[in-house]
Formats: sequence, C-alpha cells, structure tokens
Amino acid sequence: MIAVNEVHKEYIDGETHVRALRGVSLKIEGGEFLSIAGPSGSGKTTLLNIIGCIDNADSGDVDIDGDRVGGKSKKELTEIRRAKIGFVFQSFNLIPVLTAYENVSMALSLLGVSDAENRERTMALLAEVGLEGMEHRRPSRLSGGQQQRVAVARALIKDPLIVLADEPTANLDSTTGEAILKLMKDINRHRGTTFIFSTHDQMVMDYGDRLCRLHDGLIESDERRSA
Amino acid sequence: MSARPYRNGRTRGGFFLALAMKNLARHRRRTVITAGAIAVGVAVFIWMFSILQGFEAENDRNMSRYETGDAAIMGSGYWDERDTFPLDMPVEDPEAILSLLEAEEIAAAPRIAFRGDLIVRYDPFPEDGSLQRAFYGIDIERDSRVFALSEAIEAGRFLEPGNEEVIIGRWLADQLGAEVGYPVTVTTRTRDGFYQIMDLEIVGIFNTSNPFINRHKAYLPIAVADEYLEMRGAVTAVYLSLPGMLPADADPGPVRELLSEFDGIEVLGFYRLNEDFAEVMEMENAGTAIILILLGIIAVVGISNTMLMSVLERENEIGMMRALGVRDGEIRWMFTFEAAGIGLIGAIVGLILGALLVWHAVAVGIDYGVLMEIEMDFRFDGVLYGVWHFTSMIAAAVFAVLIAGVVALVPTRRMLRRRITDSLRHS
Repeated sequence: MIAVNEVHKEYIDGETHVRALRGVSLKIEGGEFLSIAGPSGSGKTTLLNIIGCIDNADSGDVDIDGDRVGGKSKKELTEIRRAKIGFVFQSFNLIPVLTAYENVSMALSLLGVSDAENRERTMALLAEVGLEGMEHRRPSRLSGGQQQRVAVARALIKDPLIVLADEPTANLDSTTGEAILKLMKDINRHRGTTFIFSTHDQMVMDYGDRLCRLHDGLIESDERRSA
Repeated sequence: MSARPYRNGRTRGGFFLALAMKNLARHRRRTVITAGAIAVGVAVFIWMFSILQGFEAENDRNMSRYETGDAAIMGSGYWDERDTFPLDMPVEDPEAILSLLEAEEIAAAPRIAFRGDLIVRYDPFPEDGSLQRAFYGIDIERDSRVFALSEAIEAGRFLEPGNEEVIIGRWLADQLGAEVGYPVTVTTRTRDGFYQIMDLEIVGIFNTSNPFINRHKAYLPIAVADEYLEMRGAVTAVYLSLPGMLPADADPGPVRELLSEFDGIEVLGFYRLNEDFAEVMEMENAGTAIILILLGIIAVVGISNTMLMSVLERENEIGMMRALGVRDGEIRWMFTFEAAGIGLIGAIVGLILGALLVWHAVAVGIDYGVLMEIEMDFRFDGVLYGVWHFTSMIAAAVFAVLIAGVVALVPTRRMLRRRITDSLRHS
C-alpha cells in the first residue's frame, strides 16, 4: 500500500551537508502498526515527513495507495494530506482557541462533510478515545494525555489511509504514553488503520508489530514481531 | 452526548471565518490596542473631513452671498486683471443684459468695483486715518436679489439710491475709529484715469459672516460711483444668482448661451470666480492629506505589526494546519479575516467616535476667533462648523477594514513560503 523506493534526502545546514536518508526502501501494508526507531539524526522524522508528503525526496519515490507522490504539485500534495494522511505530533499541536470537539471536527470540515455527519462522527470518536464529556474543553483545560488523545482523534476522524506519529509519547509521562500507545493499537486493530510512528523509546518500539531500525539514514534492520 | 449545540462551520469558509474571529480573542490587549489605533485614525479622518467640507461650504456660501454670486458677467479679460481694479474693461451695456436676464427670471446685480483710499474724519477734526480699500457701487434694489449685504447691517442703515453715502464693515470701522454719521473722503481715479475725490457719509456699518468683506470693502450707490468715475452707464461686472443647492452646483451654461450674441463679455462660473480660494484649499488639502497619510501609516504599521506577531507566534500551528491539508489560500483567508476583524472593530469604534466629533462640530463648531485676528483669505467667521458627510464616513470605515485585510497578506505570504517541516520545527 505504501512503497518507499530508494529515497535519498540531503540537508544543507550552512556549509555542512547532512545526508538524512541514503537510499531507504520500505513496503508497508495496510493495517500495519510500524515503529521506526533509531537515535537522533538517524532520519526517522525525515522519512515520516516524506511519507507524509510534507517534504520531498531528493531522489527515489514514494507510492501511496498506488499513487506516485514524486513530481506532484504543491496543491496535489495538499489534497493527498487532506484526504489520506493523519498526523499526530510530539507536542500535540492543537489549536488553543478551539475546543476538543472543534479541533477534531476541523479535519472533517476541511473535507466539506455536513454538520450533522461531522457531529455524529466526532462525538463517537471522542468517546472512543476516552474524552466523552470533555468535548467543550479547550486544550488549556486538558492534561497532556488528553490533548494527545484529541490529536489522535483529529488524525483518525477522516478515516485516513495512514496515521503518521512522530514521537507521539515524547512529551508524556510513561503511564500516559503507554495509554496513548494502547489507544492507537486498539484503533489499529478495530479500524485497520495503518500507523507509522517514530521513536527512540524501547517501550514504544515494543508496541509495534513491525520494527524498522534506522541508522545514519539507512535501514539497519526490519523485523516483524508478534503483538 | 452534550445537549449544547455545536456551531462548527458548515463550510470551509465558515470554519476559517469562525476560527479567525476566535483568534481575535487570543491576545485581547493587542487586539484592543491595534483596533484603537485604527479607531483613532478613522475618527480623526471623519472629523477632519467634516471640518474641511464645512469650511469649504461656508467659504463658498460667503463668497457667493457677498462677493461673487453664483456666476458673473464681466468684460473680456477683466477677470485676469481684477487685482488692479481696471475700469477700462467694463460691461458696456449692462441694462440690455439685465433686461434679457430678468426676462428669463435670472436674478442679476450690476456692480462697479474700484480701488481708492478711504480717509475718515472726526468732523470737524482733521484727518484721523486712511486705508486703501476696494469700493463697490451697487444697484441697491437688484443687489439684494443676489447678495445678502443688506441683511448684515449692524449699525445705521443700508444705502439709499442716489445719496452720496457709504457703508463699511465693522472691522474696518473699528480700525479707523469710524462710526455712523462720520464723513469720509475717497480718493480714486476715473475710468479715463483722472484723479477724483468723493466726499461721502458713513450711513451704515455691516458685519457679515465673511471677514474679508468686513475688512476690505466698502459700498456706495451705483449712480454715485457711475457719476464720480465717469463710467457712462458701464459696470465692471453683473453678478448672478443661479439655481442650485450649493454655489458650486450652479451651471452658468444657459446664461452663456443666452448672452452669446453680446461681444466683449464673458460669463464666469463659480469655480473660476473662486479660483484663488481653490488654490488655498488645495494647499490646505495637501496639508490635510499629509496628516491623513501619517494616520494611515500609523494604523498600517500597527496592524501589520500585530499580524506579523500573530503569524510568527503561530508558525507551528500554521505548519500543523498545512500538514493536515489546509490549503495555503485558506490560511491566507483566515489571517485576512482576522486582520479585517480587527479593522472592523476599529472601524466601528472609529465611526462612533467620529460621529460624536462631527456632531460636536456641526452643533457647536470650533472657535477660530483667535485666528480671525490674523489676515487670511479665508471667507469664514470665527466659528467653523462641520457638516455630515456620510459617504466619507462609510468610505473611511470600509477602507480601514480593507487595508487591515490586505496588510495581513504580507506576513502570511512570508510564512507560507516556509517549508512545512521548518514551521513544524518552530515550537
């Protein structure tokens, strides 16, 4: 479903050339729960960004659901992200002036879903992620774990093909982080949504059905694990 | 499930509009300060425009009512030489013109304008003072159909036909120490250039709302002027009162057509007769424009600074929205709505403040009494009144909203040029 073919990416930082990815190839099937692990600077975030169509590969290509991403215009990439990709960020990135409900329903509003359907789906999903009764709270009145649940709901509400989570538990304590991982795993099982998340935390790696280790921009290992 | 209704936008546009309005409350103090700057700009613009319009209208009215009428018929070339008060470029047969005009029910008043030295005596004491002034021989009956001088007599009486008498303005009378009943001597030159001395009696002192008249002009019966100046029935101008709400609206075209068969004359409209003041007004308007531009710059700098700060501090959020598939155009609209919202608040407050200032300017006016002591070419009395000018009020408010919206595009554009990944890294 997602194919990463010989992707290279180099950054120029002043006079320093950083080779973030040096020919990464990866095939990810629908419904996988994949963790991409590696130390800082190994290329995890860069790989996620390229799969998520928010960054371009210097060479190589990415196919999402049979759709080749390379060479697409900025507008086309925006439409792919809008319809097919959900993001969960390390620092939640909720809009502070919107309530939990509004932060989640925003993703459906972007797709032009009717108010009635939007409301039904958002309320159901907020209940599913354990936020029933907190719909009207703004992020400032939610704990870190609750905020990340809102972010997970926001990523899932449009039934995306993939959810990309860049170190989703890094800003959470271990108990809350585990709860979020459990939530994502449950959703992965129930809905069959593909999750790809990056981490350097062993506990997080253990949640993945498949663990792909990156080192210096290359895949060091790629192993399937029993859940 | 909560019973509270959700008000999520039905459309994408509605969503971004709602979000923009919510963003206004993020930094209330900043929003209030920026909107306040816009409000002050809008209010000052509305007030200044009202005063300027009032000033212009009052000037036009005073020019028309006391000096130029709505139009004038003069000998060809006279207008260009008017500062020298020539008597050799007159309208030679005013009666023929007046009959034609009166048949068409157009109010017309002939005048003979000349320059002379006015010498006042406290009879039987010797000469006390003299000033060079402009004198006008006026047709007493016809003059009142065009001019309002007869209504402005403050002491004594208005002129009577054929008497060797004069009326002068209050300011001039005070300067010369003259009163009603005092004899004056006017020295001048006739149409043929000979020196002439006129002995007249002050029979009235007028005080018009036109300070220029009060200072610089004196009036006597046209027959007396005709005789002393040897005009032989000619006049220097025939002034007209034409239909129109304002002097500037009066159209002299039909009069030109009516008098097309007369040689050696020209019909001058109000704009031409008022050109000296128009030049002064242009300078005044240029000064006002500079003030308004400065106010505009303050408002633009204020709002662009606010929007720049908003955009920069929300870089991470913008990156997140773009990652979620929000189009650049939608983000641009969101910030435009937000800035226009600040502009709208400022515009509404500015409209209210401006309306209060205009109300005061219309009802009470601004006392320029001190300035009246200074010699100026302006034709308005000590108190300057504003006028309601709703078009300018609406235009100022709309402009504030539009400019606020447009100003927001610059920082937003800059932000949208950044890569999403760079914006997301900015926490």
